[in-house]
Amino acid sequence: MRPQTKVGLLFLLSVVLMVAFAFALGVLQPFSNSNELKVAYNFAGGIEVGSPVRVMGIKVGKVRSIQFEPQFKMPESGEQVKLVITISVSKEAWPTVRKDSHFFINLAGVIGEKFLEISPGTLENPELTPGQVVRGEDPPRIDQLISQSYAVAGKILEFVNKNEGSLVDTIDTLNKLVLNFDKMLKQLDKTAKDPEVHKIVKNFNAILDDGAFFTHELRGPEAQKTIKLLNELFHRLEPMDAKAIKKFLQEEGIRARLF
Amino acid sequence: MTATLSDFFVYSTRTFKALFQPPFRSKDTFQQLEFVTWQSLPVIVFCVSFAAMVTIMESSFHMKLMVQNDSLVPGFASLLILRELGVVVSSLLLTSRVGAGLAAEVGSMQVTEQVDALRMLGIDPIRFLVIPRLIACTVGGVILSLIANLVCLYCAMLISELKLGYSSGSFLTGMRAFVSYKDLVFAMIKGGCFGTVIPIVSCFFGLRCESGAEGVGKATTNSVVVASVAIIVMDFVLTYIFSHFY
Repeated sequence: MRPQTKVGLLFLLSVVLMVAFAFALGVLQPFSNSNELKVAYNFAGGIEVGSPVRVMGIKVGKVRSIQFEPQFKMPESGEQVKLVITISVSKEAWPTVRKDSHFFINLAGVIGEKFLEISPGTLENPELTPGQVVRGEDPPRIDQLISQSYAVAGKILEFVNKNEGSLVDTIDTLNKLVLNFDKMLKQLDKTAKDPEVHKIVKNFNAILDDGAFFTHELRGPEAQKTIKLLNELFHRLEPMDAKAIKKFLQEEGIRARLF
Repeated sequence: MTATLSDFFVYSTRTFKALFQPPFRSKDTFQQLEFVTWQSLPVIVFCVSFAAMVTIMESSFHMKLMVQNDSLVPGFASLLILRELGVVVSSLLLTSRVGAGLAAEVGSMQVTEQVDALRMLGIDPIRFLVIPRLIACTVGGVILSLIANLVCLYCAMLISELKLGYSSGSFLTGMRAFVSYKDLVFAMIKGGCFGTVIPIVSCFFGLRCESGAEGVGKATTNSVVVASVAIIVMDFVLTYIFSHFY
């Protein structure tokens, strides 16, 4: 074999290897079977180009590009969002990504690899169209949370230092209160087990039963009739003054003290 | 020492100047390219395969020792192989094989006055001897570093599957998390730069060879030592430069 042929073969092998490596790394995707989507954030929490995109924990694509868009506004809400991340999602997983899907930036693995997680949408909502801009859920800023926690802890410490005496008194009072409450509960328990109390309760129960019987009788037709007659009588008596009533009673031979 | 450095500087300048002056001796260049790539390939592939296997096993051992978990080894080992191991080991092997051969060949020509004869015929020995070897080694360095790297990665994948228990899929996933395509491009650039150093140093010592078998041996030894040191120093410089691109 001529040297030129050998060198040519090696050169060809090198080109093939380079293409194969690019294919293995996902740099070249000649048979790409995915759709693109733009996700807008104000804080992306360290996600990078090439970070995986997952739906229900399964890798379905990756972050294609990250663009800074200072003038960008969300088409529907008009909210200003300054970061637009273009992601690819495989066509296989595309039907699960719907209008009510949420786009989170999460951490995974021992070293905290960042990835974009898409929560699946419901069937009542329509599928997204390729290239559509959606609003992502900004991840919490750990640095801000820590600094806020420090501030809150500082205020709590300051409050405790300033009101140390009052706090001790309050805790003492609370302690006494809890002790008293405990005593009261014990007393109640003891009382509930007393036979005399049982008897009282039983009698009270009988009284209530009688009352219930009486009120039941009052609701009957006879009682209703009597109440109606009494009512009519009172209406007839109303225009009469004290003298007329007295005269009427004297005539009837009834002694009574009125008004 | 200063005189040698000065000579080397003048000689290097003349070499790079001659690189762009025709005529180009394509037949000789292809023969040298075949010598550098085709004939060196088996030994380089064999050696880097074992180096890669050792690397991934050692990485796993150390990771288990430190964090009791070697799940990140495929990614780390791939990155190490691609950025350093494949290209440096293959270039050092190329130095010991091709560099020594070039120094001995040119040294023998110098001792037997063939270089003087070329000068007598009005042929520039740098253009006649050094340029084809320089082109061959530079191109060969790029090709060999590429092949060596990918063979290394394949061997590492095999070991991770057979010994460490990671499937080829999880190896590739781990690799994708850490490795980017520019790592391979930078490795090829490094391979080309190391390939350039080898013939320049070897031919320099060959052309300065003193008479006798002892002179040829001394030129060969010096060329291998200096080229190896130059490769390691250049590796640091290139790594420093490339670090600005990450």
